[in-house]
Amino acid sequence: MGYASLVVTVAIIAGIYSLLAIGMNMHWGDTGLLNFAHAAFFAIGAYTSAILTTTGGEGLLASRVVGFEFPVVVGLVGGSVLAALAGVVIAVTSVRLEGDYLAMVTLSSAEMIRLGIKNEAWLTSGAQGIKNIPRPMADAFPLQLGSVTVGYDLFYLGFLLVIVAASYLAFTRLSESPFGRVLHAIREDEDVPRALGKHTDVFKLKSFGLGAGVAGLAGALWAHFFFAINPSMFLPGLTFTIWAAVIIGGAGNYLGAIAGTLFVVLTRQVTRFIPGDIPMSSELPFIRLIVIGIALIAILYYRPAGLLGDEERLVAGQMEAE
Amino acid sequence: MAGLDPQFIWFGIVSGSLIALGALGLTLIFGILDFINIAYGEYMALGAFVAFSLNVEFGLPLFVGAIVGALVVGPVAIALDKAVFQHFRNRSAIVLLVVSIGLSFVLRNVIRIVWGSGSKRFDVPIEEAPTYFGVRILADQVGIVVLSLCVLGGTYLLLRRTDVGIAMRAASDDTDLARLRGIDTERLVLYVWLIGGVIAGTAGVMLGLDAQLRPTMGFTALIPIFAAVILGGIGDPVGAVVGGYAIGILQEASVVVIPSEYKPLIGLILLVVGLLTRPDGLFGEATR
Repeated sequence: MGYASLVVTVAIIAGIYSLLAIGMNMHWGDTGLLNFAHAAFFAIGAYTSAILTTTGGEGLLASRVVGFEFPVVVGLVGGSVLAALAGVVIAVTSVRLEGDYLAMVTLSSAEMIRLGIKNEAWLTSGAQGIKNIPRPMADAFPLQLGSVTVGYDLFYLGFLLVIVAASYLAFTRLSESPFGRVLHAIREDEDVPRALGKHTDVFKLKSFGLGAGVAGLAGALWAHFFFAINPSMFLPGLTFTIWAAVIIGGAGNYLGAIAGTLFVVLTRQVTRFIPGDIPMSSELPFIRLIVIGIALIAILYYRPAGLLGDEERLVAGQMEAE
Repeated sequence: MAGLDPQFIWFGIVSGSLIALGALGLTLIFGILDFINIAYGEYMALGAFVAFSLNVEFGLPLFVGAIVGALVVGPVAIALDKAVFQHFRNRSAIVLLVVSIGLSFVLRNVIRIVWGSGSKRFDVPIEEAPTYFGVRILADQVGIVVLSLCVLGGTYLLLRRTDVGIAMRAASDDTDLARLRGIDTERLVLYVWLIGGVIAGTAGVMLGLDAQLRPTMGFTALIPIFAAVILGGIGDPVGAVVGGYAIGILQEASVVVIPSEYKPLIGLILLVVGLLTRPDGLFGEATR
């Protein structure tokens, strides 16, 4: 029983990270934009949804004056929308920058957003974090279906899988639509769509907004499952983990992004299933990150297109500097 | 500027020295290798932790630890180039950036395994700061500023007066042209890693002296350092140093106008404004 519930929790983490990877794949895989602010979009989604659905109040370290107690669905929508807006705002200042400059600006912007979340305690409870975030439909569980009892975690996993599947279908459709083809053209050579009269900046803003929006949705879903959030959950390391997932899985391929996420999440979580008394057990958290780092480098060397990446398309490993 | 305490200027000079030192090493590497090395933060942390081991675990004076810590990072940077970056030499800057993220994962967690993930301090006395002309000045801070100036000056002479330095500047300007003139750019790459690594190690020790040592210390210091590199014009050492001091002093002086929690914002604002208005850097001599 213990293992079964762990498996469900790990699957929920994998599902939420898959949404992050889908958003990142829209940015990097489809459009070739180097977004290093993903953790911030995730944080904006989580915080927005938490603030919209909880009540403010006195805390041990900080007093939050803002809180709305709206239904969870308002939080999910609000979190996605605000994250998308944040994506567009960051992109407006920086989308014309060349590749690695964009990486620096987005990385710095993400840290500033985290700094804001940490310091504006009236809005976010600061370092103390927000607790008691409501779970949707929590009262209905555990649910007795004949002789089978369905626990809340299992229900949430099902709910999450529906959202991941819907996002996957929506984003693959989008990627194959005329809109997606313009994004791919921008990725290959921005001058070409521009010569055809496309406003490439507008397309890049839309790409940034859509990817950030789904990252915001992931954040909201995270907050509503894990009850509590705090600023240290949204460090740049999270952004890098999602990058590793997308590159390992194969940039430009949404199924690849999800496969890469599964690899990364399993590598990070597998140690939960290992008994604590084996040698080096206290170093395991660090060893698994080393494994991800080595896997990332090895994939880029041996299989630049990633596990499921399409060799025909532009891939991280084949794009030469201009 | 009314109400600007000279104390903030001194703090600005101290943090400017740290940023300038870090930015100098990074811009040298960036200029020749042509990619953003995220693992540079871990190079800095490594120098600090080696110094920590010698200073605290072996009881040696800090300056011995600092020298060894700084010097160790040069060969380590060369070894990592041989092991990792060399195999990606003809790939795009973005691939190298992602590779350096992978390397930074590996290095940071090796540091955590060897030294633990808690925060540590060098074995230096904690004392009240004496006051000169109304400004509190710690001995550690004087050490940081003086040593940084020595390294900055030494590197300037190296780049101006020695054959290797002149070749480095040429290659940073235009690698192909330098190769055409008979400069062995592959050998030059080794010198760049060596010099850049030693500077990173020094910067790491100084960072540890200014605050605490943590496995993430290098990474968290990177953002203002990147801002200084880009502000100065990538590959331009003088620009990076000027940019570093500008960001350091403006950050500390900004507490007069904005809450001090938000002073890192100055680096970002300078970065964005700089990129949008002067994409070639302060002095307009960028390599690309």
